[in-house]
Amino acid sequence: MSKKTAPKSQSIFQKRLKKFKSFKRGYYSALLLFGAFLLSFLNPILVNNKALAVSYQGEMYFPALTTDVYQAKDLGQRMIGEADYRQLADQYEEKNEGDWVVMPLYPYSPIESLLTDPKLPGPPPHSPTAEHWMGTDDRGRDVFARLVYGFRISLAFGLGVVTFGYVIGMTVGACLGYFGGRLDIIGQRFVEMWSGMPFLYTVIIISSLIKPDFLLLIAILAAWRWMGISYYMRGEFYREKAKDYVSAAIAQGDSHSSIIFRHILPNSLTPIISFAPFALVGAIGSLVSLDFLGFGLQPPTPSWGELVKQGLANIQKWHLVFFPLGALFSTLLMVVFIGEAVREAFDPKVFSRLR
Amino acid sequence: MGAYFIRRLLLLIPTFLGITFLVFTVTRFVPGGPVDQMLLQMQATTGEAGGGGGGGAASTVEIPTEVLDELNAHYNLDKPFYVSYALWMKDLLTLNLGESYKFNQPVLDIIVARFPVSIYFGLIGFTLAYSVCVPLGILKAIKHGSVFDFASSALVFVGYSIPGWALGAVLLVIFGGGSFFDFVPLGGFRSEGWDDMPMWQKITDQLHHTILPVIAYAAGSFATLTVLMKNSLMENLGQDYVRTAFAKGLDERRVMLVHALRNSLIPICTGLGHAIGIVMAGSYLIELVFNIDGIGYLGYTSIIERDYAVVMGILVINTLLALVGNILSDVLYVLVDPRIRFS
Repeated sequence: MSKKTAPKSQSIFQKRLKKFKSFKRGYYSALLLFGAFLLSFLNPILVNNKALAVSYQGEMYFPALTTDVYQAKDLGQRMIGEADYRQLADQYEEKNEGDWVVMPLYPYSPIESLLTDPKLPGPPPHSPTAEHWMGTDDRGRDVFARLVYGFRISLAFGLGVVTFGYVIGMTVGACLGYFGGRLDIIGQRFVEMWSGMPFLYTVIIISSLIKPDFLLLIAILAAWRWMGISYYMRGEFYREKAKDYVSAAIAQGDSHSSIIFRHILPNSLTPIISFAPFALVGAIGSLVSLDFLGFGLQPPTPSWGELVKQGLANIQKWHLVFFPLGALFSTLLMVVFIGEAVREAFDPKVFSRLR
Repeated sequence: MGAYFIRRLLLLIPTFLGITFLVFTVTRFVPGGPVDQMLLQMQATTGEAGGGGGGGAASTVEIPTEVLDELNAHYNLDKPFYVSYALWMKDLLTLNLGESYKFNQPVLDIIVARFPVSIYFGLIGFTLAYSVCVPLGILKAIKHGSVFDFASSALVFVGYSIPGWALGAVLLVIFGGGSFFDFVPLGGFRSEGWDDMPMWQKITDQLHHTILPVIAYAAGSFATLTVLMKNSLMENLGQDYVRTAFAKGLDERRVMLVHALRNSLIPICTGLGHAIGIVMAGSYLIELVFNIDGIGYLGYTSIIERDYAVVMGILVINTLLALVGNILSDVLYVLVDPRIRFS
């Protein structure tokens, strides 16, 4: 071999990754969104009404890091029930006996009602203040804290629906496309029937009847979000199956599962990968819509849609509509940017143009 | 071809039966049906609620068993679910959707009364969407890569990232007189006393009630429709027949607007069929945001109040509209594109 080596060969995936990175807004959106999602797992120590650390009479407590509940009286507070750490911090400072409290950066919890807080006079919802950056909702809960927790829930929910929907859609589509014949005819009729059901209405009816929890709601939404994927998959499998490399694999005596998973599947992923971000947009949008209608996640789950519902009931409280929808908008915009970059990288459409 | 559509029409029947049977069965196996609701109401009116409220309605109030049996028989709740489904289906075939226990009126009348409002907003919103998106998509395709293309792409990204009803909510907060401007009312179809207004006031009042919901409707399909139009035209501009047209010496305008545009409208036309469902059945979310008393709003309130006759009635109409819309799309496809042959 000569010393001058040819440029290092790149796999198709490396090429695509390089292309993806060349779309700056998509690439940075991906980094930002992924970073924010990872950060959101630190929510309990960033946004919480429980202290990170309490030093009381020489003893250390870490309420935010453990599941233990500390009684107020054990920490020298004159009240019944769980300690109020914000108050505790003031109390220790006043007494100046060497006790101290370290609060999280934003010392409010998403499900804590602040109705008894003397700093918040009047009935809720309160407008934004220096302490409550986005005000409070109609039960006196801090809106910013709810938005921050709602972000993780919305994104996790969306990813769950997409994953679940993809598994169902890919399985059904692959089976119909690969095995064909009578199974295909019957299966397609079934898919058609299923897609004929009015999505939102049926989901609302079911949700109003069974009051689903997080996972069940993911399953219900996924049950109505797999048909599109199955059409794509079926088409791809149908096309790929007729190609020579599949005939070669069959001639080799490969099993069905080997042909499906090792040969055809990797070749048929392109369209569904480039569709995934848009599926995520749809899933997050549906969750917010359902929460807005009151048929989404069960209260008191922090949710963006529920805040909008309150905002429309208290139309003069603009912060209840603007902030959650702003959060929804920025999240979805980032996902759309990612989707644009992914599509360009995986499935480039070059429009040839005459003149 | 005819055989294909006859088969599609026949396929409507099992699809329709499957959907209604599924939902009917689900509504039957869940507590809180019409009889329970009525018991709750009786409990509230007789003032014997005590500390109970909530769930265990029958335990606190003494209801004679004959009355209960009669009620159950009235709603066919005393029979197995498949029997009452069959009875419900039999009624449906004679266009009898049952009676709403909340309105004490036939379901069909209640639904039909709300059609005009839903169609009014749906149709205007739909027309607005097409009359903005189609020209915009064409312009974007013709000026692909220009400053205008990039600037309008920003709008498309916004359209993708915010659902129509959410945009409606934001606009309502801004213009509805809550905190910022007081341009438009807080929703509804018309102001009270509309009938007694002078002509001019009637028109402005109607316009004020119309503008925001219609924008919300149009925003819902803005991004997809614009991009569909643009991509479709772009694809056609690269085709051989466009090259031929240029080679013949036709001017650019004619090639673009007559040759390429006609073919690129095909996917747009087929979307018209699907629109029938949205136009006629309204949108739950938008009607709820703007307090529009249409089909969507009725469906939503009936689910909350467990008025199952109405819930099922709206499901029937929604499903039928969606299924017919699908077939209509295919028919349109064949009509505008003679190359398509279904068989």
